[in-house]
Order: sequence, then C-alpha cells, then structure tokens
Amino acid sequence: MDQLLQQFINGLSIGSVYALMAVGYSLVYSIMNFSNFAHGGIIMLGSYFGFFLLTLFKLPFSAAFLGAALGASVLAVLVERIAYKPLRMRNAPFLYFIISAMGASMFIENFVIATIGPTFRTYPAVFSRSPFQVGPLFVGRLDTMIFVTSAVCLLLLVYFIDHTKMGKAIRATAFNARAAALMGINTDMIVILVFAIGGLLAGIAGVLFGMKYTVYPQMGAITIKSFIAAVFGGLGSIPGAVLGSLVLGVVETLVSGYFSSQFRDLISFSLLIVILVFRPIGLMGKPAEEKA
Amino acid sequence: MLEVENLHVHYGGIHALKGVNITVEKGEIVTIIGANGAGKSTLLNTLSGIVRSSEGRITFDGSPLPTAPHRIVKAGICQVPEGRLVFANLTVEDNLMLGAYLRRDAPSIKRDLERVYDLFPRLKERRKQMAGTLSGGEQQMLAIGRGLMSDPVLMLLDEPSLGLAPILVEAIYEVIEGIRRIGKTLLLVEQNAYKALSTADRAYVLEQGRIVKSGRAVDLIQDQTIQESYLGVKK
Ligand SMILES: Nc1ncnc2c1ncn2[C@@H]1O[C@H](COP(=O)(O)OP(=O)(O)O)[C@@H](O)[C@H]1O
Ligand SMILES: [Mg+2]
Repeated sequence: MDQLLQQFINGLSIGSVYALMAVGYSLVYSIMNFSNFAHGGIIMLGSYFGFFLLTLFKLPFSAAFLGAALGASVLAVLVERIAYKPLRMRNAPFLYFIISAMGASMFIENFVIATIGPTFRTYPAVFSRSPFQVGPLFVGRLDTMIFVTSAVCLLLLVYFIDHTKMGKAIRATAFNARAAALMGINTDMIVILVFAIGGLLAGIAGVLFGMKYTVYPQMGAITIKSFIAAVFGGLGSIPGAVLGSLVLGVVETLVSGYFSSQFRDLISFSLLIVILVFRPIGLMGKPAEEKA
Repeated sequence: MLEVENLHVHYGGIHALKGVNITVEKGEIVTIIGANGAGKSTLLNTLSGIVRSSEGRITFDGSPLPTAPHRIVKAGICQVPEGRLVFANLTVEDNLMLGAYLRRDAPSIKRDLERVYDLFPRLKERRKQMAGTLSGGEQQMLAIGRGLMSDPVLMLLDEPSLGLAPILVEAIYEVIEGIRRIGKTLLLVEQNAYKALSTADRAYVLEQGRIVKSGRAVDLIQDQTIQESYLGVKK
C-alpha cells in the first residue's frame, strides 16, 4: 500500500510536467486547430538554456530558470512568425501547418546537434538527492519541487484564462476568430500571446525534465507523451490536458513499477488508440460542432 | 459619414462585389436588401476589415477607413454578424464585456452595460449563464448588446431577423429604433425586405454584387419590381 502511494506520487510528479507541455499544445490547438509539433523543440531548447545558464554563466537556479522560460517563450513566438504566420495570412490548408511544424521541429533538433553537439548532458545537482520522509513515505525533493512548480504554473494559467480580460479574449478567439476580430480583438496578437505562454511553460517543463533526467537534442520527442495526454484529455481543453497528463503520468509509473518499464510506452500508446476509437473528442474535449 | 466608392471584392475567381457605391449619413438608418448570395455580408465584412477589397475606396468621417478589424472597431464601426456568432463558451456578461474590449473607461463601460440590460432585461436575468444555452432570439439580443458595448458611431447589422419568429422580429426592430434614438447610425442588411424598408430612411437594392436601385425607403416599398422580387407581392 505504501509502495503504491509512493508510485502514485512519482506519477503525479512526472504527470505534472507532461501537463506543462500538454497545455502548450492545447492552447495552440484551440486557436489554430492544428498540433504544433515544433513544441518539443522548444522544450528541448528551454532545457539547454537552463543548463547553460547554470553551468556556463553560473547563474543562481532561480535566474537560470526564469531565463530558460523567457528564452523558450521568445523562440516559440519566433517559430510562429517564421513557420506559421505566412500560412495564416494565406488561409493555407491545415496540412501545410503540420508540414511546416514538422520542418521547424527537424530544423531545431538538427541545429542543436550541429552547434551544441549530440551528447547527453546532466544538470548540476541543484536539489539534494536524498528524499524526505512523510510518515511511512519517502518523497524525493526534486519530485516535490517539480510537482509544486508545475502546479503553481498551471493554477496561474487557469486563473489567467478564466478570469482576466486577455484570457477571455483568448477563449473568444478560440471559439470564433472572426467574431473576436469584430469585437476589436487583435487576433494576431492573441496568436503571439498563446505561443508566448506555451513557450514559457515549455521552457519551465524543459528545465524540470532536464533536472529529472538529462538534456539531449532528441528530448523533444517526449512531447509525444504530452500530446497523447492532450488528446486523452480533449485537444483544446486546458483542464482536459492537465487531467490527461496526470492520468498518463500515474499509469506510466504504475506500469513501470508493477510490470516492467518496457511495457510503459506500449500501454500509453494503446491508451491513445483506445481513446481515439471510443471517445475521439477526449475526456473533456469540445464536440466538433461547438468548435465551428 | 460613410462613403463607399467603386468597391470590388473577389474571392479567388468569384467576383462578389462589382463596383458598389453607397453613402450613410449621420443619424440615418440605411438598409441594403438583396437575395441570398447577392453580396450583402461581403459588403459588411469588407467594411469591418474581415474581407479585403480588390479595388475601391472607403471613407469614414472624412478619412480613409483603417484596414485592420480592431482599428475599425476603434474608429467606431462595429458589426453584429450574420448568425449572431455569440461566444457560446463564455457567459452572457463576458460576451457583453468583450464587446467593450477596446475601451478603458470603467465607469462608462458600466453605464453602457446597465443600458444594455435595460434594453434587454432578459440578458440581465441570464447574465451568469453560458451564451450557448440561450435561445435564438436571446442570442440575437446578446449579439446586438455586445455590439452596443463597443459604443459605436456606426453599427452594421447583418440579417438580424434571420431565423426568428415574427414576434421576435418585431422585438428586434423595436430595439433597432431604440438604438437610433440613442444617437447611433445604422447600416442594416436584410433579405427580409419588408421590415427593413418600413424601418429605414433610405435603401439600396443589391443584386449579384451590384447596386441596382436606391432611394428613400418609403418610395422603394411602393416600387412595383421591388414588391414583386422582395416583398412577395404578386402581379
Ligand atoms: N469566403 C468565401 N469564399 C468564396 N466565396 C464566397 C465567400 N463568401 C461569400 N462568397 C460568395 O460571394 C457571394 C456573395 O456572398 P455573401 O456576401 O455571403 O451574400 P449574402 O450575404 O448577400 O447572402 C456568393 O456568391 C458567395 O457564394
Ligand atoms: Mg449574408
């Protein structure tokens, strides 16, 4: 029982990082109706930013963390301006966006391999590896920090989207961009805002992930997990993305803990297929007619 | 106040507006009537900056109309679109407040919100409800109220009576009269010509992207060809 609870906590920790990544997918999807596959590259770049700010520039952790988040945010907006905006201006078909996203993703990955190199790098130990004890449970310091940081970011995001004027403008644009423009909302600015927020969270996720595992050029591929989580929760829905991510994190950890880690991805992808077959809009997705 | 000269719009190969000229003076209700596909929505969307013209000139208050939709709203033109397009995923009050998106002056926004609630008490009752749960007539009222919240000088209304029961059409047109009384200018597009012609001061008839007739609404309502084509009067 204690072990189950322990695994559950680990699962929540990793699931919360998936959630940070997944909400970036969901936000972009809700406005532009396509899955931004360059998001993984931004997470990887955020992770490298954090790494170099800590090791090369010797910044304190909080400054490196902030720098990584801001850097990733700027790059996410840059990708939008270069790879998607020209397509938006021409009302290009959805397929073009996907192809452009894949191109951007490959560019970022290979650019990093060519300039920084293909090696795996390990973050310096910012947090002590020794766990602390709560009753019978041993909880990792890093895992706790990861969960708390992600949870705070997600709560701030939900507050922003639900209760601020800008957040409501994002939701209005997601519902119907033309009607939003008729209200005087600058929808191009909303697109920038959404990429900036997605990038910010991607940078944070990159640093957290890099600290837990390692940093390497292909690490963006883990976003396939957060993509599954976003689809599982319902693409375009932020609570859905968070819920999907936490479920995925917990399921993965339990599968690795009780069967074998080789089954982990098999189970996640099976989960994706089962969901797509039985509930294509995901747990909390909006029905197609509502999206218009 | 608004002058449209020789306006042409193309959608790819489709030539939707073929040299449209219209004017709207301050305080007027001007209507544009035309059958489905005549180009009425295209005209309003071009005025709102949602659709780009290929040729022509639009002057508003003596200067060229800006091109970006949000600048046009800022300049004082708002559109209540065909099919209402209320934000179904937001509450009634959030919809209204988004109408005031570009305004900064909180007290006057609040005053206008109260004015909209006076005009549509129904919306006040349902202000915490999701807009998607409203009936068609209520959604039309919300769309008009949301437009009013931008405190426009000129309001563009695209088929406000579309799909509404006759009693609701009456109610909507009473509101339109009310909006004129608070000093707004209206450009009203309708397929349903009778109500529009009996409310408007002047009218234009749009057919296949061209203005084929214009004049005082009271005269056009008596016009034989208009009676036959748009008012369902048999010879
Ligand atoms: N987005 C569009 N793309 C291509 N053609 C369009 C588009 N919108 C309207 N049209 C065409 O332009 C013409 C005028 O349409 P519209 O302005 O919607 O007419 P109305 O509002 O008078 O019914 C029609 O032939 C219509 O098919
Ligand atoms: Mg129309």
